[in-house]
Amino acid sequence: MAAGVSVSLDSIAVGDTATVADVLGDDAVALRLLEMGLTPGISVRLVGRAPLGDPLELEVRGYRLSIRRAEAARIAVTAG
Amino acid sequence: MSQPPAPSPHLTVALLGNPNPGKSTLFSALAGIPTRIGNYPGVTVEEKVGRFTHRGTTIDLVDLPGTYSFTPQSPDERVAVDVLRGRMADVPPPDCVVVAVDATNLDRNLYLASQALELRLPTVVALTLSDVATAKGITIDDAALASRLGCPVVRVVAPTGDGIAALGDRIIAAAETPPPQPPDLSPHLSAIDGPRPQAAREAIARYAWIDRAVAGVVRRTAPARRPLDERIDGWLTHRLWGTIVFIAVMLALFTSIFQLAAPLMDLISTGMDAVSAWAESLLPAGAIRSLIVDGVLAGVGGVVIFVPQIALLFLFIAILEGCGYLSRAAFLMDRLLVWAGLSGKSFIPLLSSFACAIPGIMAARTIENRRDRLLTILVAPLMSCSARLPVYLLLCGAFIPDVAVGVSWLRLPALVLVCMYAVGVVVAALVASVLSRTVFRGPPQPFVMELPGWRWPQPAVVFERVREAAWSFLKNAGTLILAMSVVIWALGSYPKPLMPAGADLTEAEQQGEALRQSFLGRAGRLIEPVVKPLGWDWRLGCAAVASFPAREVVLGTLGVIYNLGAVDPGEEEGATALVRRLKAATWDGTDRKVFTVPVALSLMVFFALCAQCASTLVIIGKETRSWLWPIVTFSYMTALAWLAAFATYQLGTALGW
Repeated sequence: MAAGVSVSLDSIAVGDTATVADVLGDDAVALRLLEMGLTPGISVRLVGRAPLGDPLELEVRGYRLSIRRAEAARIAVTAG
Repeated sequence: MSQPPAPSPHLTVALLGNPNPGKSTLFSALAGIPTRIGNYPGVTVEEKVGRFTHRGTTIDLVDLPGTYSFTPQSPDERVAVDVLRGRMADVPPPDCVVVAVDATNLDRNLYLASQALELRLPTVVALTLSDVATAKGITIDDAALASRLGCPVVRVVAPTGDGIAALGDRIIAAAETPPPQPPDLSPHLSAIDGPRPQAAREAIARYAWIDRAVAGVVRRTAPARRPLDERIDGWLTHRLWGTIVFIAVMLALFTSIFQLAAPLMDLISTGMDAVSAWAESLLPAGAIRSLIVDGVLAGVGGVVIFVPQIALLFLFIAILEGCGYLSRAAFLMDRLLVWAGLSGKSFIPLLSSFACAIPGIMAARTIENRRDRLLTILVAPLMSCSARLPVYLLLCGAFIPDVAVGVSWLRLPALVLVCMYAVGVVVAALVASVLSRTVFRGPPQPFVMELPGWRWPQPAVVFERVREAAWSFLKNAGTLILAMSVVIWALGSYPKPLMPAGADLTEAEQQGEALRQSFLGRAGRLIEPVVKPLGWDWRLGCAAVASFPAREVVLGTLGVIYNLGAVDPGEEEGATALVRRLKAATWDGTDRKVFTVPVALSLMVFFALCAQCASTLVIIGKETRSWLWPIVTFSYMTALAWLAAFATYQLGTALGW
């Protein structure tokens, strides 16, 4: 993943850290993701995936958060 | 001059916080056991209040449902917000708000705290889990944090009681001082570029404000080695090891509610038998004795018998929740349950329902999402509970030919038994997936779940959870189940039978005659046209109707109908007598046998899917706080059971089984 290029959070590798660029959409799901601390500029690490591939375990703002891939797909991130 | 004594001061304090175990621990540490558990008017959200006295002031601590923010996404969250804003009818706004803030997760917890500061109510921040935070290398300057937030901050270690008295002092002091200034988000709001909905702009600005508020207040020193809980987490959510541990934990949970509960349940039945025998010896034979022994005492026994399973299951759940495994379990199983339109949190309630649907349906309380919780409750009774097992075992053993299927060790009766369990699971998955895509269709529900850090469960919180579950069952559902069993006793005992004149009937024959002539027995005869397509004669119809109190009684009822008296099919002698009688049963006036392989299968399939369990329906009514849902459950399950039994019988007959 090249620096500055924005991809969705569900496509980064386990163990990788990325920076949130934006949360797409303006519904309740997008708002809840922002409220859980996934705001633009924050660093987020993909800690792991559940055995069946979904949901994902993230580390953000010093805590562990689980979201589904469908939700992660709406979070645009950049490398680093 | 003597003055009348001033009324002792009284405060109503609301406890606000993110949903996590720290808040429950704080409630227990401050108020102990709740003095009142009720319901908010008009909504199905639990109201929990604990009264305690601190330095002469009586404080009513209202435990608000856990919430992440003031933009409510569930009825529980809406209640928390409405109570605080004074919008809840008949619930006065609190005199003071205590915000439980998890020190190990400060940023995210301050989000809710900063919204609380906008209420213009006296506010105190309780910094929980600060000992855990210290161990993780997080140091918080609480005095500096207090000045940034503009409200008192008290460090508490709820399990040891450290800081609890200081928190009480601060609450009383804060209630007498003007409320704090709301946080000023305006500079952060103007810094946001791009078009966004107002709520999203506010969320981003609020985190910018929090980042400023904690700058220099929180210091993180990286621990020398990877913290223990992170290493545990790595193992427990690992693809292979995590799955193995998960299976082991669930097996332990399942066998304990199945096996550990068994001796306790036996003890209860033995005790109830002794009480019944004693009552029988005291009372003269007649209607009163029958009412007390067969109606009331049998009903009490039928209620108390559930308590060991409920207590054990909630003990397990409270421990798993307290140490943080409950959300990991939901994380691991989520994908599997999404296929059925449910979520990972439905797993433990559904698994528990294989032992008994009553504790399983109660365990659905751990599902915050209303839609998922209701769906889980609706399909939980489809899991084959332990009460169905004796029915399966007896019928499989008696009527399914003991032949090998493919390999010599795989016998047909065992295969049929497994199929009976599978049929419940498959139908539950289908029902949940159809309902979630039709009746319960709605906007996408965010599955956003915190995976809390690992910690030791707090005994006080665990105990309270078990006590509350057992007590609420006895108090709410128990009385109703008892009333229902008395009604069913009456329907099975009245009208009094007219014995054929001149005939000298044995006691067993008299019992059979009494049941056949009772309202229940007549209902069975009445529905004969309905059960005939299933291959059943009127006696089987009778037994099915009469087993409405609980499925397992169908065997006992069959015994009574076939004039064997009250046999205990759980005992060798009773079972063989019953099997012999069932095998000999013929259609009235013919020598055509009633029980064939298709009939046995259709009876089993019917019992796998039907809702013949009054207690389950009562608990569904109590947990959903609506009588609509038990009616829905009974109707859809009975319809499915009939259709499936019909298909089984017709198919079996056509194939010449």
